[in-house]
Amino acid sequence: MKEPQPHTWEVTREQIRAYAEASGDRNPIHLDDDAARAAGLPGVIAHGMLGMAQLSNFVVGWTGDHRRLRRLRCRFSAMIVPGDRITFSGRIAGERDGLVELELEAQNQKGERVLTKGLAEVTAS
Amino acid sequence: MSKVAGKTYPQVETRLEADHVRAFAEAIGADPQAGVPPTYAAVYALFSTAVQLYGDEDAAVDFQHLLHSEQEFSWTRHPEVGETVLARGRVEEDVERRNLRFLTYATSVDSGGEPLCSSRMVNVIRG
Repeated sequence: MKEPQPHTWEVTREQIRAYAEASGDRNPIHLDDDAARAAGLPGVIAHGMLGMAQLSNFVVGWTGDHRRLRRLRCRFSAMIVPGDRITFSGRIAGERDGLVELELEAQNQKGERVLTKGLAEVTAS
Repeated sequence: MSKVAGKTYPQVETRLEADHVRAFAEAIGADPQAGVPPTYAAVYALFSTAVQLYGDEDAAVDFQHLLHSEQEFSWTRHPEVGETVLARGRVEEDVERRNLRFLTYATSVDSGGEPLCSSRMVNVIRG
């Protein structure tokens, strides 16, 4: 398999709001700037799981079929906020037992790593 | 101090409704025709059982100071639209280190008596 090409995701308030509705995670730190500031944040932040959903999209775009994905993991290392441009990248780390291991990470436009320890395992065919 | 390490919660049933799955796929920018997006596991594995932990007085989770720190999903297979799955949550670890509480919650999801998916969430709670 060829390595995936990096992909950039532009983060908007609208998508964070849509994710809150669709996932059911309506924690106000994702929806309301005042509530987010009261929690010690600069303003609303994206759900970690929205970032992981984009990581999944990135891997599925590479495999072509989500059913080949057997494992997906990441650490949420830094906040993702509206206006960010997040670039996902992946590197094939190896293959064993018919599974290809892809190491993953995501950086924002400032070069800060927002998702680390990323790993996907996908079936080799 | 371990408050609830090892504790399990009652199984939660989730039916993967077509309209809901489609709305989720659209919200994340996945192809709504392609079936159930992998991270829909956030709905049928993670949130469905995490609310049991967060609502448990014995666990006393300070939700205001909680950060989702790490997440892992693994799949034996992916569910299909219309399927009904059963998820059971278990506290894998509950420890304090350097004034932070690390709460690891593992969920196993079955369908038709066969394992389907497992989820492992690490939360960090500031003391």
